[in-house]
Amino acid sequence: MRTIGWLLVLVYATSLPGSAQKAGDSNPATAVRALEGERVKAEARNDNDALDLILDNAVVYIEAGKVISKGDYLLRVKSAKPQLQQIVLEAMTVRTVENTAIVVGTYRKTDGKDGKSLKRWRFVDTWVNKKGSWMLVAAAATPLAK
Amino acid sequence: MGTSASYAQGDADSDVEAKILATEHMWGQAYVSKDPKALERILDDAFVNIDSDGVVQNKAEAVAEVSTSTIVQFLTESMVVHLHGNTAIVTGIFQLKGVDHGKPFAQRERFVDTWLYKNGQWISIAGLVTRIGP
Repeated sequence: MRTIGWLLVLVYATSLPGSAQKAGDSNPATAVRALEGERVKAEARNDNDALDLILDNAVVYIEAGKVISKGDYLLRVKSAKPQLQQIVLEAMTVRTVENTAIVVGTYRKTDGKDGKSLKRWRFVDTWVNKKGSWMLVAAAATPLAK
Repeated sequence: MGTSASYAQGDADSDVEAKILATEHMWGQAYVSKDPKALERILDDAFVNIDSDGVVQNKAEAVAEVSTSTIVQFLTESMVVHLHGNTAIVTGIFQLKGVDHGKPFAQRERFVDTWLYKNGQWISIAGLVTRIGP
């Protein structure tokens, strides 16, 4: 029983964003791309602990024209029903300049009370490498015109 | 790899913020004065912008847009600078007025810009504009 417990801890630890950061150190674009995926997964499963590691404390989050702080964002994720909010990352390009990475891409999000309303968004995320870890400092998205 | 010390020698954060905000102002005024050269200096060669319809725009397209601008007034409000070493994030709202084919128009939208201290100056490497939420 104790062995299973440690195995679970190990599996959980290797899925934390910090692992993605270290694994991709030799290739910043790969590391940032992996973190984008981790962020989406974390939001989908309401994993605020993982998001806390990915998001810089001063992150600026803009969605649907509103500016949201890290605290408000985490509160929203915590209270959301995961089955009604599914995000699927589509195309993504990553450009790194020195210790900064810009990610431009699109995602589709199922939202609404019925969970059926689908909207596509284009986003720009800014990541900064702080003491060896890539931190999300800005995330902004705008809906794609139909 | 850049550190905050690269630009901070002699520059307090408030000075850096003021410089970036002044450049944001120049960016807006470039549309009014139809000054593509100003934008050439402000934007990184690999600059990318997303407009409020989600359309991607590169530096050449942004500069060309300035040349044919019909904007007569460009104001900014609620601008906030977040410094992260040699990277800065600016959020704010712009309000513009213009006349296109004799028809007046007005627009008020939220923006977020990413700035990088590169070769001794702050340049914009990315931006996004979105309609203001309810």
